[in-house]
Amino acid sequence: MARFILMRLLQMIPVLLGVSFVVFISVYLVPGDVARTLLGYQASETAVQALREEMGLNRPMLVQYWIWLSDLLRLDLGFSGALRMPVAEVLGGKIVNSLVLMGFSLFLVVAIGFVLSTYAATRFRKLGDRLTVFATLVMASVPTFWLGILLLYVFSIQLQLFPISGMYDMYDPGGFWQLLHHATLPAVATAASAIAIVTRVSRSAMIDVNSRTYMRAIRSRGITPARVNYVHMVRNALPAFVNISGLQVGYLFGSAIFSEIIFNWPGIGLQLYNAILQRDAPMIQGCSLVIALTFVISNFLADLIVRMLDAGKR
Amino acid sequence: MKQTQKTSNDLKGDMPMRPDKPLGWTRRLFSASALSLALGSSVGLATLSHDTQAASARDNTVAIAIEANMARLDPHASTTWNTFRVLMHIFEGFVAEDLTIKDVEQPPIVPALAESWKISEDGLTYTFNLRKGVKFHDGTAFNAEAVKFNMDRMLDKDFKYYQAVAAGLMRWMWQDLDSYKVIDEHTFEIKLKSPNSEFLRRLAMGGSGTPRFISPASIEKGGNDSVETNPIGTGPFKFEKRTVGEATTLLANKDYWDAERLPEIERLIFRPISEVATRELALMSGEVDMISSPSPDSIDRLKAQGLKIESSPVSTLYMMWVNMKEKPLQDVRVRQAICMALDREGMAKFHRNGYAQPAYSVLNFGGPGYDPGFRDCQYDPEKAKALLAEAGYPDGFKTRMDWTMGGGGDVNTVGDAEWIQRNLSKIGIEASIESFDNGTYWDMLGSGIREGTGFMSVSWGETSFFWLDQVIASDAIPPNGFNAGYYDNPKIDELLAQARSAKNEDAMVEHLHEIQQTIADDMAFIPYYTPIAIYAMRPNVSGFVLAPQHWHDYTGLKKN
Repeated sequence: MARFILMRLLQMIPVLLGVSFVVFISVYLVPGDVARTLLGYQASETAVQALREEMGLNRPMLVQYWIWLSDLLRLDLGFSGALRMPVAEVLGGKIVNSLVLMGFSLFLVVAIGFVLSTYAATRFRKLGDRLTVFATLVMASVPTFWLGILLLYVFSIQLQLFPISGMYDMYDPGGFWQLLHHATLPAVATAASAIAIVTRVSRSAMIDVNSRTYMRAIRSRGITPARVNYVHMVRNALPAFVNISGLQVGYLFGSAIFSEIIFNWPGIGLQLYNAILQRDAPMIQGCSLVIALTFVISNFLADLIVRMLDAGKR
Repeated sequence: MKQTQKTSNDLKGDMPMRPDKPLGWTRRLFSASALSLALGSSVGLATLSHDTQAASARDNTVAIAIEANMARLDPHASTTWNTFRVLMHIFEGFVAEDLTIKDVEQPPIVPALAESWKISEDGLTYTFNLRKGVKFHDGTAFNAEAVKFNMDRMLDKDFKYYQAVAAGLMRWMWQDLDSYKVIDEHTFEIKLKSPNSEFLRRLAMGGSGTPRFISPASIEKGGNDSVETNPIGTGPFKFEKRTVGEATTLLANKDYWDAERLPEIERLIFRPISEVATRELALMSGEVDMISSPSPDSIDRLKAQGLKIESSPVSTLYMMWVNMKEKPLQDVRVRQAICMALDREGMAKFHRNGYAQPAYSVLNFGGPGYDPGFRDCQYDPEKAKALLAEAGYPDGFKTRMDWTMGGGGDVNTVGDAEWIQRNLSKIGIEASIESFDNGTYWDMLGSGIREGTGFMSVSWGETSFFWLDQVIASDAIPPNGFNAGYYDNPKIDELLAQARSAKNEDAMVEHLHEIQQTIADDMAFIPYYTPIAIYAMRPNVSGFVLAPQHWHDYTGLKKN
């Protein structure tokens, strides 16, 4: 096990290096002058040059990359051009906010995905199953931003059950319940398509398990259907479930970007969106890096859990 | 709440359960958790309320949702008008525009930290008598030394706290500066190289840096970068905190020097919400008290909800840059034909739902020399067709329009392009549209209109005319400025210089009118409308004054 973990960690190094390089140069592939954009259109060339100097933009690209990477290893992501504040400082709070939203979304994905797939698999080709399949088809096809606006319209405007935006009340911020209240709609919007995918994949896995001969053998021993379903079927389909759920984490981050913009949730996604609008290179790099890291780490964790489940089975 | 509870019970009743089979605990657990997740969470959470504790905080706080995120908070280095919209409440300069009155074309200049001033006969020396007894928010006294500290910070390369980008950002402000000095504790003198008819007006401006005063003590203590997180000025509101991307909170300055403009409320929250639909929803639900720039299409709906709408034309101009290098457009008759083809009145009335005024001159509404009666051309598609034929294009020609998807305050700029496209097609000009994100777009404008494109367009304009230096002057042809259509007429440069150094306003306006006529004759720029700024607010918000400026005075704002 330790060897497996070590190998996977070592494998992550070239992946992360590649990611960091792509993240770094992506900003330079975009046409236009970062310093000019930051200063606006009334600034003189001298001011632009002064800022280029301040930001180190006059050095060769590979030198810039090397400096950026070595700073990165010290957790120094540089200064935001638009805010003149350390990127790491700004992102620190944003990461937490995004993780809160992600955590809640992932909880919904795992819980609802598990319940729905088990429900559908045990009613294979019956009405409940067909309804579930239909529902997941809808959920998977609906774009996050559209669903977000729909949820806002129905639950916030018409029914007035949920707030429109942000994480806390503007006038009197604080408290776990207030947070949960604000997080519900964005989490549902973020989770919808992932729930659909998890449900469909693990439903298939469970149906597949059900058709195996050993399941027939178990049934023939007169074990109650509930036990057959919820112990044997579920347990054997668990690795597939965990694997697909783990893979969703990265995609959840993708959907979360839309949710964060629609619901004005102050996380990495909204920060990235604003940084792109402001052409704030260090901030764009910081945000992309955090998102890429989340993807890599969550895949690693999913692999690890699947491996542990496999080991448990042996 | 009760209704939702009932729904969840109903659903439970509908759950398919087979009575012939024993219902295992796991199954029950699953059914229960499915329901509680799908519906229960909403039921439980929605009942939460915080009305009681928040009531008092709510009464004294006004939250405003604005279109875009703010940039850095250092007033000498800050770049966007959206940021100045917040900074102007914290920092003050010698003079200000009086934004407590509306229904004026251009806000009058009033004293701020200078009680009075004297301008020498030759228009070169400005002597400011500084207001006595004013303190910065950190208790530091405001005096001539503090002014010098700030001037050095903006302009003196050798000063310990020199802000490297300030001078370049504020070329529009200090281009005519000769020298400055402290006369005594409450007197400060600025000398210019050549007279500047707009010097006082420009002292009141901001957006690309602003010549306003920061507490010297705060910088000496925390260093230059500390201004970004701890901006200390003398204004009616002081900075409380900023959570990047979420909100910036200002507190009323109870010791403000101007008793007439003591803030009525205790806290002012600026909250960036870039999505226009989300901004509107946040207002409807009462999460914020006021929003800027709702979509003109939403106004009726907002009104029907009982929300208050304030609107006023603002000193901005939407204008097309014409590419003078493109073959058909080199002929002035073709450019005139294009002008005549534009139904600008219809555009303002129908496309912008009445929330715009047609514009016919490069001198924008709210700016110096604005002349509402001026017309660069008359709408006349028939005559336009004839002119095109005369120029050798009886069947029109093909061209392209490069357009922006809009910045902070813009709503549906691409709709503008489509309107213009339809107008042009009526005289046989077939124009395709390509749109770009705002950042890229400005880079394109700064490097000049590309080959094959006939027109580009942005909104620009101030209550001062300094922006024309960067747009219509021949030394502003890219890469040196934003004369993106390569309009090269030395007469314009001369007129601009004359307008700036004019000794009095009448002379300045006379030169500006000459500029307006020259541009119309050459038809190098085709303005189309002045937007009407719209603010929407909750019915319990009062005292908002929508002066014709991009930013507003919030000292009279009340909430009942």
